Amino acid sequence: MAHSFGILLRSPKFLIGAIVTLLILALVLIYPEINKNDPLSMEALAFQPPGNGLLLGSDNFGRDLFLELVYGIRTSLVVGLIAGICATAIGLLLGLLSGYIGGIIDNILTAITNMFIVIPSFIILILISVSINSRSSMIVALIIGFTSWPWTARAVRAQTTSLRNRDHVNIAKISGHSTPRIIISEILPYIASYVVMAFILQVASGILAEASISMLGLGPYNTISLGIIMNWALVFEAPVSGAWWAFVPAAFAIAIITFSLYLMNTGMDEIFNPKIRS
Amino acid sequence: MKRKPIGLLLVFALFASLLAACSGSGGNSESSPSPSPSQSASEGSESPSSSPSASEGTVEPGGETPRNETLYINGLQWGAPTNFNLLSGNPAFPINYGNSRELVYETLFMINMIDGNLEPLLGTEYSWTDDLTLHVGLNPAAKWSDGQPFTSDDVVYTYKLGQKYDINWTSYWDYIEDVTADGPNAVNIKMKSDNPNKLTVTESIEIIPMLPKHIWEAIETKANNDLAAIRQEMNADPVGTGPYKLFFYNDQKITLIRDDNYWGQALFGKLPAPKYITHVIYKDNAAGDLAFKNNQVDVSQQFTPQVWKMWEDGAPVKTYLSEAPYYLPGSMPSIFFNMSKPGLDNADVRRAIAMAIDYKKISELAMSGYSGDMKPSLTLDTPAEAQYVDQDAIKSLQWTTDIEAANALLDSIGAKKGSDGIRVLNGQRLGPFNIECPYGWSDWNAALEIVAQSAKAIGIEIRTSFPEAPVWTNDLQTGKFDIIMNTPAGNVTPANPWSRARTIMYSKGVAPIGEMAFWNWGRYQNDRADEIIDQIPLASGDEAKSLYTELTKIWLTDVPSIPLMYRPWVFYTVNESVWKGFPVDGDGSNNPPQIAMDGAGIKALYQIHN
Repeated sequence: MAHSFGILLRSPKFLIGAIVTLLILALVLIYPEINKNDPLSMEALAFQPPGNGLLLGSDNFGRDLFLELVYGIRTSLVVGLIAGICATAIGLLLGLLSGYIGGIIDNILTAITNMFIVIPSFIILILISVSINSRSSMIVALIIGFTSWPWTARAVRAQTTSLRNRDHVNIAKISGHSTPRIIISEILPYIASYVVMAFILQVASGILAEASISMLGLGPYNTISLGIIMNWALVFEAPVSGAWWAFVPAAFAIAIITFSLYLMNTGMDEIFNPKIRS
Repeated sequence: MKRKPIGLLLVFALFASLLAACSGSGGNSESSPSPSPSQSASEGSESPSSSPSASEGTVEPGGETPRNETLYINGLQWGAPTNFNLLSGNPAFPINYGNSRELVYETLFMINMIDGNLEPLLGTEYSWTDDLTLHVGLNPAAKWSDGQPFTSDDVVYTYKLGQKYDINWTSYWDYIEDVTADGPNAVNIKMKSDNPNKLTVTESIEIIPMLPKHIWEAIETKANNDLAAIRQEMNADPVGTGPYKLFFYNDQKITLIRDDNYWGQALFGKLPAPKYITHVIYKDNAAGDLAFKNNQVDVSQQFTPQVWKMWEDGAPVKTYLSEAPYYLPGSMPSIFFNMSKPGLDNADVRRAIAMAIDYKKISELAMSGYSGDMKPSLTLDTPAEAQYVDQDAIKSLQWTTDIEAANALLDSIGAKKGSDGIRVLNGQRLGPFNIECPYGWSDWNAALEIVAQSAKAIGIEIRTSFPEAPVWTNDLQTGKFDIIMNTPAGNVTPANPWSRARTIMYSKGVAPIGEMAFWNWGRYQNDRADEIIDQIPLASGDEAKSLYTELTKIWLTDVPSIPLMYRPWVFYTVNESVWKGFPVDGDGSNNPPQIAMDGAGIKALYQIHN
């Protein structure tokens, strides 16, 4: 474990991604301690350009956009994490079960997974978001998680199927280990690296999904996320009035976060997949 | 890593959709753009000086009409026109019902939103001959555009269409017993003796557009008197009494041409100045604003953020008022409380919320400053309406933004702040209360965000929720809300402020929570208020004033609703680069800013010149 971590740190891609992610995390955790203002309080005039004590200007409500951005990144990261955990857990569970057990259960689970893959998850996401009444960021995160697990399930299933007939698994079977124990101790370790990478991608796509539905006005209520900042900017025609500071920083923040997560993922891929290790 | 390209694609898609937002939704409640074939302003791009030749009769329908003979307007039609049939329920510009649009069909009288008076048009005078009968004299000179005379038969026929079918003016028959001809040039409107209402009947003579009997009887016969079949009628060449006829339409514009045989020359002294009126159908608010800015639109009925910047930049643009709030108020979007919700059932809590709200901020941030100072009352803050209430008598009850006083009021009723900063009253935590309005109605969304923020300062938790419009409508009518936003009876009509007061406070005939109610959504109940609302339609003069004053006092004491802003009924922004002399405040004309075509506003068409 320590060894592979050492290799990871030697990958510049992973290193850059990790550092950027940590810096963003640090900003999000530390800045609210320095500036204890309520990010929702409406202090300034609408769409004030950056300057005069407002690092990134004000939005249509006269709120401090930099403070909003910090809280927005925090919400988006939390939503992404919960969505990622949720999607990875479901995908992993279904993938392992159908891959290892096989037979009729495999057929049923694969059919379900394929169904979910065929239906665009974003549409399910929109439909669920429209139909439920109370929307907190937690619920939005769970919805995203519940709609984005299928491809994880498929990939895990494929890997599990190839592992199922390996010698060490057969030996464990002959030794009389129980199915859960075999899955946990004989199969999971071999796909762990893949699962971690998938998780990182799920977090990134969770952040993007939250931003997308929030921009459609279907995001969580009574909170600030990066998507919501952009939604208000759109509703109040910030691009028309030239108030770029109302949406560019939020869009940029999304790009930076997802990009650094992808970078980490690529770096890990190169390490764990010796074929493409340089 | 198959996912990576998709993920990166999403990042780009996000950027792309942001950039695309330059042409994004306008989405305020007055103008609701719907998609139409993408088309940006190509009409009227010609400069005013380039075609001075008066091209009498040379313009083909659909061809380019001379810029200096054409009045361009926007903000009244979104999406392709479907039909010009007044009975269809959704006719296209300029046949719309409810605004007294006098271009093709005319009403008996023209409402003037400045003083609330009814000015003669097809009708010459009206008077109550007894307590139940309204006598209306008609102009013998009036003619339909096909040359037939306009007579009392047409008036009776039009009114009775509302009795026969379920259409826009059917509700007036709740109060009307019968409409009869009194010779060819007068009609009598008789009210029901058990349900008389002078106000709504007076409203009907300025709002119901007159239809020609000889045309519509034929349509009825063809449709076998079946409303569904009548609604299918396209009516592509509507015959009306008005000064304009339909000239051309497609999914990009609707053009009207002046009827040079218009009967009203005798009434107005001349023909209206523009030979053509064109409504270009823009994709959205932003496209319409851009065209207006580029002198391609003369009269804009669109919400234009920070309109003053236009004339500060030197554009020949005017609004009715030269200073804030720029537009005359026409309605009062308000929040309604669910009177049975624990916590909100306390009048002092509601009053504290009313005192906490920062109305100035709402006007600035949500309405670009187009809402004047809030003077809470059942009446609009206009001369036409304010006269109904004794303003001095209600002064002591009117609230103003005062956080300290609101906190003191809550302290005095024993609502103590809990550890989370939210007050608890008699064991009931004040919040979270949901406050609701449809998504995308940006000015309302912003207003509610400000309300939620204001309430925080007095220890009441209010959470905003912006569902889709149908959900909001359902919640509103069935009473499934804590606090909800809606406009009580907008429009300037003789029936206001009575009909607004009724919408806010009248409890008779309101279904209990869970069933549909069409007014008094919060289920407010006050017997004295019901009594007054029953009496006002039959009262007049000082008696009406004292009733209105008493009712306003009850409203100010009980606070069943809080008006958040004043909103113009129509936005009236004019660009004088081609047409000059549009009515503005203080020009001495008493011509109202009703977009040069609604009610008495149409007099502007006789006032403007090149």
